[in-house]
Amino acid sequence: MIDFRRFEAAIDNGIGRRKLGYLVIALIIAFFLWFPNDTSQSNYAKTVFISGFFYAIMSSSWALLAGIAGQFSFGHMAFMGIGAYVAGLIARDGFIFAMLGVNISPESISAVGAIIIGTVAAGAVGLVIGWLLLRLREAYLALFTIAFSELFRIMMLTEYDYTGGSNGLSLRPLLQIADVDAARQVEYYLMFGLLIVCLLALYWVANSPIGLFLRAMREDEDAASALGVNVVRYKILVFVFTSMIVGFAGAVFYSDVGSERIIPEQLEILQMSLIIAYAVIGGMESLIGAAAGAFISRYLLEAMRQVVISLPFGLTTADGSDAFVWDTGYWRFALFGVVMVFTLRYMRNGLLYPIITWFSGRDIAMKETVSKRESDDEHAARIEADDE
Amino acid sequence: MSEIQLELNKVSKRFGGLQAVDHVSFSVTKPELIGMIGPNGAGKTTLTNLMSGTLKPSSGTIYLNGRRIDGHPPYDVTRAGLGRTFQITRALGRMTVMENMMVPGLAHNPRASRKDLEARAHEILALLTIDHLTHELSRALSGGQRKLLELGRLLMLDPAVIILDEPFAGVHPRLQDTITNYIYRVHDNGKAIMFISHNMGAVFELSERLIVLHHGAVIADGEPGAVRNDPAVIDAYLGHDEEN
Repeated sequence: MIDFRRFEAAIDNGIGRRKLGYLVIALIIAFFLWFPNDTSQSNYAKTVFISGFFYAIMSSSWALLAGIAGQFSFGHMAFMGIGAYVAGLIARDGFIFAMLGVNISPESISAVGAIIIGTVAAGAVGLVIGWLLLRLREAYLALFTIAFSELFRIMMLTEYDYTGGSNGLSLRPLLQIADVDAARQVEYYLMFGLLIVCLLALYWVANSPIGLFLRAMREDEDAASALGVNVVRYKILVFVFTSMIVGFAGAVFYSDVGSERIIPEQLEILQMSLIIAYAVIGGMESLIGAAAGAFISRYLLEAMRQVVISLPFGLTTADGSDAFVWDTGYWRFALFGVVMVFTLRYMRNGLLYPIITWFSGRDIAMKETVSKRESDDEHAARIEADDE
Repeated sequence: MSEIQLELNKVSKRFGGLQAVDHVSFSVTKPELIGMIGPNGAGKTTLTNLMSGTLKPSSGTIYLNGRRIDGHPPYDVTRAGLGRTFQITRALGRMTVMENMMVPGLAHNPRASRKDLEARAHEILALLTIDHLTHELSRALSGGQRKLLELGRLLMLDPAVIILDEPFAGVHPRLQDTITNYIYRVHDNGKAIMFISHNMGAVFELSERLIVLHHGAVIADGEPGAVRNDPAVIDAYLGHDEEN
């Protein structure tokens, strides 16, 4: 049996955990860069990965908003939808420009231009919603964002003359590549690159003084304010920033990169709940944990559509097959629910938390600090002993 | 020594039918140790909340170093030079002691280097005898240690005026000495310190000036020895004898 402690000591005395962690990240990135070049992989597998990257952006940005800043919002998918719908409408219908009194032809808007406009629109709505949410906390904030999210979805569903209703809206394709295989390859790299850029941006904010202030606000808004933190500014800032990230991701993904059209069904509360579930399973206070939770969950949910168990020793099923085949249907979501319940009950920091803390070396620091804990009496005795 | 000019002019606060603070006026113009006392419900914490921007006065004005601060948000009042602690400690629980120190440090000095701020935080934590807990989550600290952490955070802000709300409440007597030393040391650095306490021994030991509140109004303001013998103060604490 492997002695984990000896292995751990060898790592600590050798390369060190943090460096090993960077090496693992480098290997993971190398795997994702290599994956589409593996000729045995189908386009379907690449599509699953592209979808995984998109959901990783959604969950990690939600982790910044809810896990780090403490703003438990259900409006994340709606902001994604705003980015996608605005990008689609701006490049298709002249009515938006007519409303604004600007003489621009929608045909003159490129896919990139539409994506930028969609991103800015998501940020602008984020600014308004962030301002409206200033005085709302916890359950009230969640309820408000659910109402906002549903309002937007129903508007998109009802105004079918403009939005295509339940049939959805096609955006201007971002890529024009005739060969299907080559197109999937480029789409894959585009979405993976987008995930890396978004994660870097999220990490930059989380590790800056802004990230520190956001965590202080999550812990106690009044105390943070008394310590000089402009709570209003940072609350609005985090809403605008995360809205722009998901608006951008949505506009790119639905510009025929990951999906050929945005449909209102994507904006349902169930979809939003899945984003939250992915983040919780991975670790909602860790950006990389939430991203990994989303990617792995998406992959497993897809892989578990059909479970095939080969029977050993020449055994056969009742119908003579040598493998047991189970079309899981919605049962895979039930299993996903069980994982979520387990996580919330036993590993509230997420299933990936122990791995992340091990690589960061935080568990060593935590063990050291735990040994230094003391009551007021012990503290007083220590000071007295020091004085003597 | 930083400039100190805190001035309250007829500050009042009404909650519905309750007059919590009633036309309070006083000024602080030098580095003083000011005790603020009064029976329960006298309006001490409400007055602190008004000065620190947590509450907006119903009427009256508050100036700090020539700048009007009443009704301004707490972060603005803090940056203007008035820092406070809370009666019930408000440590940022899931953040380490060092992170608790860095929040006011970076909020007050956004351009300062993290290294310099961390060095300063270490010094302050050593003064408060909790430097061995730098990497501990603040929710794991004992009650007295949390009080010390709150005091440490204030020093990162370097305010001209400090208001301490019940700094000794529920703290081990030996740690109370650490807090007392802190108060003297900060005062020696030219800060005005106003502290609310029910610990009369500490109040009379530390105060150079005593303000007494009763039913939201200032009933005495002066040197502790004189305030102690003020009939209005005795009446507020011991009650009025109808027959005499």
